[in-house]
Formats: sequence, C-alpha cells, structure tokens
Amino acid sequence: MNAKRLILSATIALLLAGPMAQARIKLVALPERAATIIRLDNPNATLIEEERVLTLQQGLNQVDFSWKGVQIDEDSIRLEVLDHPDAVNLLSVSYPPGESALVWEISSGGDFAETVRISYLLGNIDRLITYRAVADKAETQVDLRSYVILRNFSGEDFDHARILLDYGEAFEQGIDHEETKQVLFLKAPTVPIRKIWTFDAAKLPWDPQRLDNQNVGIPVSYRIVNDTASGLGRFAMWGGKARLFQDDGRSSTIFLGEDNAPLVPVGEKMELYIGDSRDIVVTQRKMRDVQINLRKNDSDRVVLYDTDEIITATIENFKDSPATLTMIQHIEGQWDMEKCNLPYTKKDASTLEFEIELPARTDAGPGVQELTMHYRRRNVRN
Amino acid sequence: MKRVMAFLMILMVAGGAQAKIDLTTLPTRDTVQLTIYNSADLTLARESRALTLKEGGNALQFSWENTLIDPTSLEMLPKANADAIDIAELVFPPRVRNLGLWNIHSEVSGKVPVEISYLTSGLSWRAFYMGTLSADETTMRLEGYVRVTNNSGEDYENAQVRVIVGRVHLLDEIAELARREYPYGRPGLPVPIPRPAAVPTRRALGIMQDVEMAAARAPMMAKEIVKEGLSEYFLYTIEGTETIPNGWSKRLQSFDVDAVPVVNLYKYEAERYGDRVMRFLSFANDTEHKLGETPIPDGMLKVYRGVDDAKHLAYEGQSSFKYIPVGEKVELNLGGVADVVVEPKLMEIRSDNHRFDRNRNVAGWDDIQTWKVEVRNTRDVPIKVEITRNFDAPHWDITHSGSIDGYEKVDLDTVKFTVELPGRSQKTFEYTTTLYRGVRTEDYNRRTR
Repeated sequence: MNAKRLILSATIALLLAGPMAQARIKLVALPERAATIIRLDNPNATLIEEERVLTLQQGLNQVDFSWKGVQIDEDSIRLEVLDHPDAVNLLSVSYPPGESALVWEISSGGDFAETVRISYLLGNIDRLITYRAVADKAETQVDLRSYVILRNFSGEDFDHARILLDYGEAFEQGIDHEETKQVLFLKAPTVPIRKIWTFDAAKLPWDPQRLDNQNVGIPVSYRIVNDTASGLGRFAMWGGKARLFQDDGRSSTIFLGEDNAPLVPVGEKMELYIGDSRDIVVTQRKMRDVQINLRKNDSDRVVLYDTDEIITATIENFKDSPATLTMIQHIEGQWDMEKCNLPYTKKDASTLEFEIELPARTDAGPGVQELTMHYRRRNVRN
Repeated sequence: MKRVMAFLMILMVAGGAQAKIDLTTLPTRDTVQLTIYNSADLTLARESRALTLKEGGNALQFSWENTLIDPTSLEMLPKANADAIDIAELVFPPRVRNLGLWNIHSEVSGKVPVEISYLTSGLSWRAFYMGTLSADETTMRLEGYVRVTNNSGEDYENAQVRVIVGRVHLLDEIAELARREYPYGRPGLPVPIPRPAAVPTRRALGIMQDVEMAAARAPMMAKEIVKEGLSEYFLYTIEGTETIPNGWSKRLQSFDVDAVPVVNLYKYEAERYGDRVMRFLSFANDTEHKLGETPIPDGMLKVYRGVDDAKHLAYEGQSSFKYIPVGEKVELNLGGVADVVVEPKLMEIRSDNHRFDRNRNVAGWDDIQTWKVEVRNTRDVPIKVEITRNFDAPHWDITHSGSIDGYEKVDLDTVKFTVELPGRSQKTFEYTTTLYRGVRTEDYNRRTR
C-alpha cells in the first residue's frame, strides 16, 4: 500500500486541425516529486507545495494532474513556473468531466526541463498540539513541553517533506498514510505559574450543609503568561490538550489533571483548570432580602421598588498553606453597594470579583475569612 | 501474562535508507509504580527498564495489545546520560494497532536506564471504613481501609502502589482513549470506532494458589501507608510492593484509631427528612479527636457497637460520607430512628394588625403562631438534637422559651434550635413566630432596616 495517488503526466499535444477535437494522450513518464513542503500553519486546511520537473517542448504542452483516493480542493490547485517564468506561460486550466483531474495548457518558448511548484489544499492531513507540564512541588513553576502531532490520513505517503508550522524551525519528516507522529517542538523548563482557586456564586452551590454528603469542589487553575519572563513570548501558543503533572519530591510525579488550552497570543494568559479543591469550603447564605422604597399606583399596587439584601459568605481554608480565592458574585440590574467588608473589583455591570487572602489552617482550626455584602437593587418593576 | 511488551530495534542508518537489522526483546521492567485515582478511571503507571542502546539511531517498539493504556500519554525519559540521548519522536505506524515506535538518537552505547510512563484505566481504589462504638456511645474505634482493584488487563507484579485522593479534571475518559483505532483519532472523522474493553478473565486455580502462597510468605504485619499532601491531592503510598493480578482486588488498612470521641447527634427538619428524626455521628477530623493528620477520603462507613465484654457486636447502620479535610467537622448520617422523637405541635393561631386598602379589602396582617416542641430521648445514652424550622417568607419575628441549649438564625427563612438531653429524658420548648403578610411587610422592613 505504498502507491502514489497523485499522478502527474505531461502530454505533448499535437495541435491538429480540428479546433475543438483535441485528444488527450497521457504519457506514462511521471515526473517525480522533488522538494515537498507540508504547511500546517493554518489550523483549518493543510497546504502542500511540491516541486516537480516537467519536460516541456517548445510550443504548446498539456500537463495532466490527476488524483484518486485523496481529497484535494480543486479550486486550490496552483502552478508556479520557477526556471523560466518569462518564457513559460500557463494558458488555461481545464477539468475533464467525471475525473479527479485537471489539465494545464502550457506554452513554452523552448525545450526546457522546467521546475514547477504545484500547490494545493489536501484534506485529512493535519496537526494537533499537546502540552505536557510538570510542576515543581511548591507549584511555583512548570517544566513545559509541547508536542506537535502529525496525522496523515490523506491517502498519500510523504516519504520526505519539510514540515512548516507557523512558528519554530521547519523540520524534515516523512509521514505515511495512516501514520501519526508525535514530535517534541517546544521546551520551556522554568515557566512561572500562579495557582488560582475560583468560587463563582452563579455556578457552585451556596450552602454545603444543604447537600447530603457531597463536597463542593472549588475549581483550581494554573495561570501561565505567554511572555519572555516565562521563557515563552516568541509566538502565539496554539490550543490543544494540556496534561499537568507534579513532581512528588521522590523522583516521581503525580498526574494533576488536564484541560484544553486555548490559543494564547503573545502577552496573554493561559488558564488551565486541573481539578477541584475540597480543602477550601465556602458557605454562602442570603440573610436578608426585602422590598423597600415601595412606589404604588392608584390601586395601591406596588409598581416600583428597591430591594435590601444581605449576603454573607464564610470561607474556610483547611489547607496547611495560605491560598488566594477568587470569588465571583453577581448582582443583576441597577444596584448600589451599601456596605461590603472586603474590597472588590467591578468586572462588569453585574459581576463583582473579590481576591480573598486565606490564611493557612492552624491547630485552632481552619483559616477563615468572612464576607458580608449589603446592597440594594434599585428600581425593580413589578 | 504480560501484555505490555517492548522491543528494541537497532536501526542502521546507511545512506538515508533505514534497514531493520535486529530485533531484541527487552528485559522485563525492573520496577513499576502505580498511582491510582478514584475520582476517575485513571492510573499513572511508571516503569523503569534498562535499554541497551547503540550509538546512532535506535528504535524502540512498545506494544500494548489487550490493555487499557492511553497511547497519547506514553512518555519515555532517560534516567542517565539525558544530554546524550534524544528521544526525537514517537511514531504510531500505519495499519498496526496498539504499537508505538520511539526513535531515539544516542551518542552513547551501552545500557541506559529509562522510565516509561503512561496513563491506563482499569485500576481503581476506594476507601471504606468500619466504626465500632463503645457501649456508652461516647467514643468510636475508626478503622480505614483501602481496596485496590485491578481490571486493567495487565498483571502488575511487585508494584509500588500509591493511591490519590482528590478530584482530577479530565477531558476524555482514559478507557475511551485506549479503545481508539488511531491514538489521536483522525482528521475528518471525529468519532473513533469503539471496541469492547479487555475483559478480565478469571485466573486459573494454579495462579490463585500461587498468590495465596505468596501471601503466606509475606511478613505477618499489616503494611503501613505513608500519607502526604501534594497540590490539591493527598497521596497514600503503600509500604513495599504489591502483586495484583488482573481481575484481583486487595484490601489494605490505612489507619486504625481507637476511642475517637463522638457525639450522638440527631436532627429534625420536616421539609428535608419528614417526621423522622435522623441519627448522625458527629466528630471532627482534628487532633482533639485523635485524627487530623490527613484528610479522610470519601467512602462508606459501617457502624457497629460493642454490646458486651466478649466483643460481640451489634450493627448500627451505615453512612456514606464525603471527603473530610483536616480540621473539618464530620456528620455521618446513619438514617432515620424511632427511639428519639421530636414532636412540634401548633398550639395557637392568631392574626392581628389588619390593614385595609381604599376599597376596604384586607391589604396586610400578621400571622402569629405558637408552637410547642417536645423532644424525647428514649435511649439510655446522652444525645444532642438539632431542630431546624423553615418559614415561607423572610418577614418574621420569633420569641422562644423553655429548655433550649442553643438558637441560631441560619439564613433569612431558617432557624435552628439545639437541645441536649441525658439518657431517658425529655425536654419541651415553645416558640412564637409573627409572620408579616401583605403591606405589613412594609412595616417590618421599615423597622428592621
């Protein structure tokens, strides 16, 4: 199963008298591929560029390009004359009926062994990116490696090709049909990380005591910045599956978790959700929710009012190390904060973000922070 | 029966044409370490082997037929001469299943220790507990166990076994990745063709006898489990090594603490439990309770009670409980009971402070209810009872009288009374709620602002 499925045949067409009655004669002599480039810089399509030497005779030449068992976007096929661009001209491209083929009509100013570059978009060949990161025991940095996974299910064997990604060095690699190759292409041994715990009041249950024997896991993420300080920052990091491990201090590792990394442009942050912490417990309760400033219509019906609401949250850290919890609270509509005992940033009209420093657990018990948020929602209509 | 096999092929590179000239079966793995998760069907396996490399290009073939290994997780790292050995690529050749080929470029020749790691499914563990209450139910002996099960398709001999407590985030199931036709799938076809998982077969009798004999030769002491925290996880390392053939499970004791002080806690909340009183065992995972060294993984607890001096037992019930961080309180639900009774009785209903609108319709009023709650402990041990009452609106006042040991406003429509009772006793308390209705809530809001 090593058959080439792309067939290129050069035909010297003898121009006969009949204006439209040209017979296509396919020649068996196939020009072999010279340099081949597989360009994987576009995640949606793979561009193949291959150079071949065509034996052209002075006058009009027909070159057949046909394929079977591969998926080529016909409209993407291009021909570039490299040796004698002034003397060799592509006159027309025709598609024979019912065939996966096209015919180039080329006029040549002389008898040339002409190098041409044929390019086309080939289906079912692509690349994936994966990341593998090993955090140190203190979780301050990771040893980050990225692999490119070449998947060739195009139907075509590439014995030897230059593979280009949108960054990094091009590399020589052969890849056969139905073959998958995993190649290491990025090593960043000391990438600083920040560990983040996030409680989003819209996503997680408020009161763990109301759940029967279930823990509420607080999502834990690692944040990596794609910049030079991280030993990165040279190019955008492609999205892909990231697996995180941690050094256990005994020359082994544990698996921390995995997440899909998004595409991260230079200077931007990558956040990888690895798992849930059950050592930080948030108990959030609504202690007050009443209507005030009632405005009534002539029938004494309340048509407009404000609310007066109090939310409290107790955050307990059962870990033996301090932690910073990012807490996200939501208040819909128009509102005023009457009193809040912890500082927050308003992320948008209805989202408040708290960065809450939690002390470590001591013998006396967990490290605790209390949040009390007293706010009024304004001009609520009935 | 080994299903994971590694072969070393030494490739001669001559003029760009690679010819396979040799095929060497590798020595068996020297050591193997299994790190088993319980929040997902996931195990990190790490094995060390000694490769004999030649200078130049080497290819190592690794196959895993009939196992549940995720091929995308395969990694090989040299443990010596790391600078001189370049593991350039891992190839999954066409039209061959369950086989990978590492292309290694070595600047040294000779034996090189390497470590091969991968994720596999089919191994699992769970925690379970046995609690034995003292006759007076003031203390409990708590024994923790870990049960490790191997259905991975691979026999693991003399493996160092570690189990992980924690919730790991996974995108794909390892078992699904292990069944894929192509390790990374293929472009154009998102859905891989599933194949039935390797079904563990029952061992022949001879092997079972071997295992039993091996167990008989083992030292007659329970193994220790070393515990340590890593990131959001807890790692339990079982002392020494274990041999767990495919299809087998092993039970190991993780701790045994005698006389943990416990409180017999009973709860009543009509909206949640109905009319029955629920029994809980309450303690904390801290040093005061002779615990607190590590979190307690979630698992099932069976509670027994010592009934006489001859160590006879009575079974009290069971409770699954959640993960308990160090320092947190534990409340184990043992189910409904009949020997502790809570009877709230509505003793009086009144309404008051009626307000009328301009059409002389009733626009607001107060509902005043007086409840008497009788709590009876028919057992001969002391108990603590928590009675939770919920209201249908956030506008209320409450007064109470009688034998109450604690009162707490839990949230805007919930209160909790706590009563402690000695053996064979009863207590009664009363409370009166005023619930503000209609426009009377405006008065309430003005007053409480």
